Amino acid sequence: MSSFNIHGVSVSNGIAIGKALLISNALLEVFHYQISRDKVPNEIKRLSRAISDVKKDLVKIKKRLQKDSSEEFSAFIDTHLMILADNNFSEKPKQIISDDSCNAEWALKKQMDIIVAKFEQIKDEYIKERKNDVIQVVERILKVLLGHPNQPNYINDESSTILVAHDISPADALQFKKHKYAAFITDMGGSTSHTAILARSLNIPSIVALQNARSLIKNNEKIIVDGNQGIVIINPSQDILEEYQVRQNLWGIEQQKLSKIKNITCKTLNNEKIELLANIEVPGDITSVKENRASGIGLFRTEFLFMNRKELPNEEEQFEIYKSVVKSMKNKTVVIRTLDSGADKLTSADTTISSNPALGLRAIRLCLSEPQLFNIQLRAILRASHFGLVKILIPMLSSLSELRQTKLLIQRAKKSLSNDKILYDNYIKIGGMIEVPAVAINAEAFAQELDFLSIGTNDLIQYTLAIDRTDDRVSHLYNSLHPAILKLINTTIKAGKKYNKEVSICGEMAGDSKLTKLLLGMGLRYFSMHPSRILSVKKQVLNSNTQKLESVSAKILKTKESENIETLIQKINQ
Amino acid sequence: MIKKKIKIINKLGLHARASSKLTQLACTFNSEIFLIKDENKVNAKSIMEVLMLAASKNTIISIEANGSDEKKAIYDIDKLILNYFGEGE
Repeated sequence: MSSFNIHGVSVSNGIAIGKALLISNALLEVFHYQISRDKVPNEIKRLSRAISDVKKDLVKIKKRLQKDSSEEFSAFIDTHLMILADNNFSEKPKQIISDDSCNAEWALKKQMDIIVAKFEQIKDEYIKERKNDVIQVVERILKVLLGHPNQPNYINDESSTILVAHDISPADALQFKKHKYAAFITDMGGSTSHTAILARSLNIPSIVALQNARSLIKNNEKIIVDGNQGIVIINPSQDILEEYQVRQNLWGIEQQKLSKIKNITCKTLNNEKIELLANIEVPGDITSVKENRASGIGLFRTEFLFMNRKELPNEEEQFEIYKSVVKSMKNKTVVIRTLDSGADKLTSADTTISSNPALGLRAIRLCLSEPQLFNIQLRAILRASHFGLVKILIPMLSSLSELRQTKLLIQRAKKSLSNDKILYDNYIKIGGMIEVPAVAINAEAFAQELDFLSIGTNDLIQYTLAIDRTDDRVSHLYNSLHPAILKLINTTIKAGKKYNKEVSICGEMAGDSKLTKLLLGMGLRYFSMHPSRILSVKKQVLNSNTQKLESVSAKILKTKESENIETLIQKINQ
Repeated sequence: MIKKKIKIINKLGLHARASSKLTQLACTFNSEIFLIKDENKVNAKSIMEVLMLAASKNTIISIEANGSDEKKAIYDIDKLILNYFGEGE
């Protein structure tokens, strides 16, 4: 057991010491564990039961389909039923369980990998794609297996478990939220990947883009995750371990210090009040919003309500969820962003995957093409607006005509509520996300027609620099300090100022305390970020003088090189 | 055991739907049934093995059946293939 280090991109700070738990890539939570020989027959039975459950399920679905007489679909289900009954899945995994004494999930996954690899070699594109049917069937069986109540307890204490994954999908992220792992490390990803967002939301260290962590690290190996430096240490020696235990304690003390500024009013040295708002995904995030004393919710991402489910949430369900958030925030602002689906967040409403989803039919484009779906959400948001201070935020606008269409649909939703004699806030404010470069360049026109602007820096950077943020081969080019990005942000802030409209940033840049002073100097007064970032940004605000920062920011805006910008930023942070 | 050579004539070859029809039919017989393309020999009762044979239009395959109803098996499968798997093209 020799010790070695691997380097990646740190996306969430902190230090974790624990044991590695490897999870298989796309397929939810498949863990490998050994079972004793005498448990083999039981494990085989468990698999048989899962397969027969899935079969019953599919037969049920097929029966329901026949009423709607979609022959195409029914043939599809037939294929799945046949795959299920195929010797390759009904028998081979059982052999693997008994040969390797491993759990049923792992055996199934192993067999699937063999089959998928065979499909990959087929030249016929159409038949090659059938591997997806195989994957879907396996996922179905896995879900039944994983949901089994008698699942053995194979993990160490969660708080000392470090998850090692290839990548974490949005759906996985939601699942992991319910756990208390010590850290996440992944082969793929960048600073705005879902792994990163998840880790920050759980306030645990995380390192991504490690390339081949999954093949280098073995299950249950002792590892240290240094999220402050982007280093993973595998099998650390005793003195390194002790050194890190000290560092971990110091980090904890630093965090405690931050908690002392919680109740201080958030204003600068020259007495200017700054609003630090929170980004949330689910109502459960409110606890952390309150704990960190956010002055409101600057971004409520609603697409997570649409994920991990078969049917779309109806108006009543959405309304109840929005209302619960609005009511628990009392009279503080709650900005609800309409469905921002598409791209990497797949929902049941949008199942076709285009080759370039970030530029495809998503967000407001999807909503305008599905007016019924949009109307349900608008009505639910409007109804919630009666219970507090709600604002609507429209994602991914790219033209004024989209904005006008959206406003028209909001008008219609209002009218339908009036007809139904349901109460709502008739003066509800409508804002737009500034994330398409075309809109940032043209920010004045949008500022005139919107009530507020919210800059989504993650997508703005991705679109401006043409960097796919999920592709780790180009993620090093993703640079929030690119002069063009700063210019677009500046243009937007100035446009808001000119027309007296609030401008906020709700992307990752708002929560990066290294950038707080720069943004204050550029005139930003509303920052919306993950609740866990609020206190470190607040610490910066408390030490800033906006008047003095203006000239420094102006100088930075004139700088042509990112490197020089970084040096200047280091200087103002000293 | 009997064996017969036959050409795949439908447009898409042994794609998902054709494969599933063939497998479904094969499963109704007691005989062991195999499809052979070049040196690959697969179980006709396994949808995945049939798919992975990737037999496109104009491929010549052999059907091999072994059992009590081998004659009828070959006859029916032959008919299905000649009938464009009931897909009309």
